[in-house]
Amino acid sequence: MSSEIYSFLLFKSLYQPTEAFKQLAQVDPSPVGIMLRYSLWLLILPPAFSLIGAANFGWRLGAAEPLMLPTQALLLVSCAYFLILIIGLLSTSIISRWMASTYAASTSLGRHVALITIVGEPLAVASLAHLFPDVLLNIIVLIPTMIWSMFLLYKGIPIVLETTSERGMLMASSLVGWLLVAAVSLLGMSMMFWTLGVGPLLGV
Amino acid sequence: MDEEDNNLYHDKVVIRLIQFSIIWAVLAMTVGVYISAELIWPSIDFGQFWLSFGRLRPLHTNGIIFGFAVSALMATGFYSVQRTSHAPLYAPRLAWFCCYAWQLTVLLGGLSLLAGWTTSKEYAELEWPFDIVIAVVWVCFGIVFFGTIANRKIKPIYISNWFYGALIIVIAMLHIVNSLAIPVTIGKSYSVYAGAQDAVVQWWYGHNAVGFLLTGGFLGMMYYFLPKHAGRPIWSYRLSVVAFWAFTYSYIWAGPHHLHYSAVPEWVLSLAMIMSVILLAPSWASMINGIMTVSSASEKLKTDPALKFIVLSLAFYGLATFEGPMMSFPSVNVVSHFTDWTIGHVHSGALGWNAMITYGTFYFMVPRLVGVELYSLRLANIHFWMALAGTMLYIIAMWGAGVSQGLLWLSVDEIGELSFSFKDIMSSMTPYYALRLIAGIIFLGGTLLMGYNLFMTLAGKHALKVYAPAVSPAFGVSS
Repeated sequence: MSSEIYSFLLFKSLYQPTEAFKQLAQVDPSPVGIMLRYSLWLLILPPAFSLIGAANFGWRLGAAEPLMLPTQALLLVSCAYFLILIIGLLSTSIISRWMASTYAASTSLGRHVALITIVGEPLAVASLAHLFPDVLLNIIVLIPTMIWSMFLLYKGIPIVLETTSERGMLMASSLVGWLLVAAVSLLGMSMMFWTLGVGPLLGV
Repeated sequence: MDEEDNNLYHDKVVIRLIQFSIIWAVLAMTVGVYISAELIWPSIDFGQFWLSFGRLRPLHTNGIIFGFAVSALMATGFYSVQRTSHAPLYAPRLAWFCCYAWQLTVLLGGLSLLAGWTTSKEYAELEWPFDIVIAVVWVCFGIVFFGTIANRKIKPIYISNWFYGALIIVIAMLHIVNSLAIPVTIGKSYSVYAGAQDAVVQWWYGHNAVGFLLTGGFLGMMYYFLPKHAGRPIWSYRLSVVAFWAFTYSYIWAGPHHLHYSAVPEWVLSLAMIMSVILLAPSWASMINGIMTVSSASEKLKTDPALKFIVLSLAFYGLATFEGPMMSFPSVNVVSHFTDWTIGHVHSGALGWNAMITYGTFYFMVPRLVGVELYSLRLANIHFWMALAGTMLYIIAMWGAGVSQGLLWLSVDEIGELSFSFKDIMSSMTPYYALRLIAGIIFLGGTLLMGYNLFMTLAGKHALKVYAPAVSPAFGVSS
């Protein structure tokens, strides 16, 4: 496979997503290649921006003075953030491939990893908002971006995975179900950790 | 001719119930939007008691549950029980009585809430005169439904009827037991239960009202209308039957998980948590059954935008039925309880599951009831995206608000003092509440579009005359 696809995906997929979907549909990339030369570069952005923002401005939850954590704690949080993003991308890609046979879609794992990365790319770029970790600013920037990402998911699946638009719609809805469950699981697990004493000091 | 009339389905009452359901949806959602604005600008109650959050909030919840949801369940129940029994409604005049008596009860009950009459039991706020009327109308609903099944021409009782039947029986049981009270005046009564017992009975009612009305009843809707939409039989009938009995058995125990860290014995709470987790299996069995049914009929999506609503409703059903058991873990509940996460959880079910599957079903039923095409497919498609965007925005805003609240009001400093005051925390919630308000307006806007679309579809039309088809002798009740 031509290596041009990586640079195309990395830069142009942000503003030419349909073209990126069409190009991706013509190749069968290696999942490792996609991860190393495309996905990881995007996944590192949110933890990096978060680290820089929190170290300089502190977390601004709105209820009190900015929360300034020691650099070591911030590094730990960012590493965990990076790890969770990698696990999220890989698990979503694997579940997407598992679903593909039900919807008569392509089962090339590389395509699934690339597709999920394209869908998540606007969010990775919009995580620039983490540079100033104010809750309101981040919500205002990230929620419209997330809606755009969902639109890309519905649009991209039938093109990249070469299935009908109706089956693509069904598969995208199933993946939305998985993503919602995964998101709420993260919340639940975080709370369990906090209650067990890992993380913030809570009076429980 | 007489023989023909005896086989004529009674669909006019179905149309009327759909119309009432949409009216209640618009009114109750408007109240919801208003009270969400009150949480940002508290002074917009203008000093009027009847406009205060405390009175409008139960009006919103009762309007949605009893006005919108129950009217929709009566409409779809009456429609599907006739077609699955191959028999017209038993006692059609009683069905009309149910239709109008129910609307009058919701209307007067709503006004009584505005006047300040309340038992203060969540989702059971209506005072004793209304409780009696509700019980009477509900029993009439049961007589019509089970009478139709008793008159059926076809031997098997289709799975949707089991769910609707459970809805009718269990809600009657919950409502009557929980509403037992000593009246003092026309507008005030005291529960016969006291203290922790009152709490346990209330949440046995409250959680199972969610279970059997907002879940079981709507699963009945899904099991009939999804295969009809898809033009395919249900993916696994056996799985649907197993899911029904597992669901019915395990749901009834789960209520006390609303009472973690209270004066209720710990074994009751642990049992509730375990049964809540077990409940995930039958809930997801129905979700998988629905998804697999529609997966084999994807080409239908080309001509039937309503199917999209049902498909997406299953995704949100999956979320809500996963989220609920997770929130029943004490270690999660200690943070999530009394935060807006609970509000988000309820709305992922109410908007994403209940409202969406109802919208999809109404888009399916209304054109068929009057024998025309839907007035505008384009408006239905726009409605779909508005419903999705509104629901997502709502859930995420409430996740953000809930996690922040849980984290902030449990935070302590080195000497164990609370780090933040309640007032400071609540004042930091404004951005989330503003997003929730926008989400509500978007979702309400979509509902208004549907109301207009279906009003134009129905305008000047009459219900088609549909007759029960002949039944193969192999499946007849006398075989």
